[in-house]
Amino acid sequence: MKNSTGKKLNELCLTAPSMIWLILWFVIPTVLVFLMAFKPVDPWGGIGSGWTLQTLRDLSNPNYPEIVVRTLLLGVGSTAISILIALPLGYYLARVSKKLRDLLLLLIIIPFWTNFLIRIFAWKVLLHAEGPLAHFLTFIGLLKPDATLLYNPWAVLAVMVYSYLPFAILPVYASAEKFDFSLIDAAQDLGATRLQAFFRVFLPGISRGIWTAVIVVLIPALGAYLIPDLVGGTASELIGDKIAQRTFIDRNLPHASALSALLMFVVMIPIFFVVFFTGSRKSITGTRHSRGVKQK
Amino acid sequence: MKDHYLTKRSFFPKFVTWATIVFFYIPLLVVAVNSFNRSKGGGVWKGFTFQWYRQLFSDSRIWEALRNTLVIASIATVAATVLGTLCAFALHRYRNRLQKTHYMLVYLPLIVPDILRGISMLLLFVLLFAWVNPLLRQTLGIRMNLGITTIIIAHITFCLSYVAMVVLGRLQDFDFSLYEAALDLGANKFQAFLKVVVPAIMPGILAGALLSFTLSLDDYVITFFVAGKGSLTLPIYIYGSMKHGNPAVINALSVILLIVTFLTVYVVQKLLEDKK
Amino acid sequence: MRKVFLFALFCLAGLLASCGGRNVLYIYNWGDYISPEVVKKFEKEFNCRVALDFFDSNESMYAKLKAGGGGYDLIVPSTYMTDMMHDQKMLRELDKSRLPNLKYIDPDYLAKVRDSEMKYSVPYLVSFTGIGYNKKKVRNFEPSWRMFEREDIRGRCVLLNDPRQAIGAALITLGFDPNTRNPEEISRAADLVIQWRKNIAKFDVDEAKRSLISGEFWLIQTYSGDMLQALDENEDIEFVFPKEGYIFTADTFVIPSDASNVDLAYAFINFMHRPEIAAENMKFVKYRCPNTEALKLLPEDLKNRSSISPSKAQWNAARPTLDLGADTRLYNAAWDRIKSGGN
Repeated sequence: MKNSTGKKLNELCLTAPSMIWLILWFVIPTVLVFLMAFKPVDPWGGIGSGWTLQTLRDLSNPNYPEIVVRTLLLGVGSTAISILIALPLGYYLARVSKKLRDLLLLLIIIPFWTNFLIRIFAWKVLLHAEGPLAHFLTFIGLLKPDATLLYNPWAVLAVMVYSYLPFAILPVYASAEKFDFSLIDAAQDLGATRLQAFFRVFLPGISRGIWTAVIVVLIPALGAYLIPDLVGGTASELIGDKIAQRTFIDRNLPHASALSALLMFVVMIPIFFVVFFTGSRKSITGTRHSRGVKQK
Repeated sequence: MKDHYLTKRSFFPKFVTWATIVFFYIPLLVVAVNSFNRSKGGGVWKGFTFQWYRQLFSDSRIWEALRNTLVIASIATVAATVLGTLCAFALHRYRNRLQKTHYMLVYLPLIVPDILRGISMLLLFVLLFAWVNPLLRQTLGIRMNLGITTIIIAHITFCLSYVAMVVLGRLQDFDFSLYEAALDLGANKFQAFLKVVVPAIMPGILAGALLSFTLSLDDYVITFFVAGKGSLTLPIYIYGSMKHGNPAVINALSVILLIVTFLTVYVVQKLLEDKK
Repeated sequence: MRKVFLFALFCLAGLLASCGGRNVLYIYNWGDYISPEVVKKFEKEFNCRVALDFFDSNESMYAKLKAGGGGYDLIVPSTYMTDMMHDQKMLRELDKSRLPNLKYIDPDYLAKVRDSEMKYSVPYLVSFTGIGYNKKKVRNFEPSWRMFEREDIRGRCVLLNDPRQAIGAALITLGFDPNTRNPEEISRAADLVIQWRKNIAKFDVDEAKRSLISGEFWLIQTYSGDMLQALDENEDIEFVFPKEGYIFTADTFVIPSDASNVDLAYAFINFMHRPEIAAENMKFVKYRCPNTEALKLLPEDLKNRSSISPSKAQWNAARPTLDLGADTRLYNAAWDRIKSGGN
């Protein structure tokens, strides 16, 4: 207040390093994704000069709708399942004693921190055609002999839920912890049934946590490419896999960019929806960051 | 608080919780058991062995991967912690349009899928090299390639946002009147900052640093996009071994990484706890 | 806490100090494709360190180079990719006076490839793409690519995740040339692969071998040497040459034009063609090295395998994959259609 230029200078010193870094290595690359989509490509993988709309025309590839639909289905499906599990779980966590809660939270956080590839690998071991689960299921007659558990969309869905569920649990729990549970008692005193109290009082009370959970599960799920690559079969390709294929096999960076831009739009839709719905940016910046969860 | 109808009567949430925890740990348990299984393919138990651990430690590539990973993670962590902490201070101290944009820039990377961050970084490097390499060749006779440096840049970028968010959270709990008091007692700004503010938010900074470190250790997707020659990292090694290595050895590696994870989580929990 | 941090820093400093200083040779090679013992011998003899990076298809290796991932001293692409890279001026012309061991290279091999004078590439290993299967699990086996249509092994077979190989097998099955540039033929081959796709578990390269050993998969399109390696771990596995025909792939040593450690790269190529070293390496990777002296040093049981010493007829029937220049895009487009899951 005393010295506004000095203050301005202070602010600049604090702001400039991260701001410049992010502009250089986040903003410019992101803009490039959109620009590159308009560059021509030569058959040897070089980027041509001049500009073209060819890549955009290539997006009308007849194979793409199926891939986009599959990406959306698996993304929405894994998000829905994660939320359905996270709700009772978050509720339970918010109600138990502190000691038990800390233990449970620790147990939930540890798989997060475990290397992502190791977690997928663990599923490959578990679902192996000659592995323990297959033997068990065949033994009790639930699985036909010689059938396989891996390499189908269900395996992809299961591993996605496994990978992203912790992202959903933490924000739901964080909201539930702040929720005033006497409201539920009050509702029940006023004659609501348990389920009514749960749906009419509890759910609206933690809606912000739920929306955060939706965002933090949906985004990585839509961008997934390793999970379908590793546990999916021949018809499990998602947008992410296509981007990887265009980059690492077809050496067609402009096309990979166009697909990336497409994916970015697909991802932005739910975010704008949530921002609009909750009228707040807060839900997006929720627990995930403070808890240190990273998407894959 | 003795009279919760819901908790009392409802068995369902409890069931879901424990079922989920079982769901979380069964795959890891299978891996752990198999790491001692003499049978290479897993499945049937063929006797106890330590041979996969021995094989793991005798592989020279894993040591190379570990070294690269640690170098990348340490440099990325230090840089991201410095940048992220400064950033959090700016965001906390000032509320204006510049900081609003700043905030957007910091949190947007958190909601962009990894694959997009990977490819956008790769595009930048491709164009940058195409532009700079002819110049470098003429003047210095060298050229830039993808490799450890590009990985470090990418890691700093995504770690920065996480550090900023963690430190910001800690700053929001900090009572700035303490800082004012130190100034009143005759400390200059720098002293007050170093002696009062920094110790108070140190657990936040450390938690942010530790978080960066683990995120950097763990990252495969972004790393793979910007990796080049001689930049084998642990996740790239793991992926490679999943494809063409010995699965039994990866089991062993997984168990070791799990133990490291347990220890890390424990330390982080301790750091976050003494906040209270 | 501070002590922990200091300790960690200390360890790190030690680690950092332990590296660096030595001469490093950067090699970009296929996974599981060189004997680690041989590499160690080279490191010892030439007092250097060999840094290996792996790729799983020619296409992915090339894309990485194009995307700024260059700087390797030695790369091991297959012949068609070698020729393409040469045409792109990405490779160094070789100075044969620095490679005296080239005198051991098999002339029969050289007659079959474009760079028959070894101007820019030196052969490393030769493989045949055929079928590997589990004798216990697959009944009524026939040596035919049509096995991928068999319903009784649905979900237990795998095709290579490699456009030229998978489409190539279909082209051969239909009686076409695996290097055809005819869009109609490629399209029909792609239709056939799509038909096979419904029956297979996935497209894969290296993992399929592991899964064949562990019993997860029963029948895979695969490289000959991989199956000989697999035989050591699971004796029920067998490799066959399909009756319709098969592709032969030769992987070559090339020195990229942006290599920085050219001397060491020459030394490595020459080292790998010392007969006793080539033989030792062959005993590990179990692919044929077209080095006539080295082949003589192999133990009988390995030498007599048809994929190491194919008969004249088998050798003549093998068809190479050729560089198709801009027409490669026909294969990429077909591959796209196959991989997307549509029809």
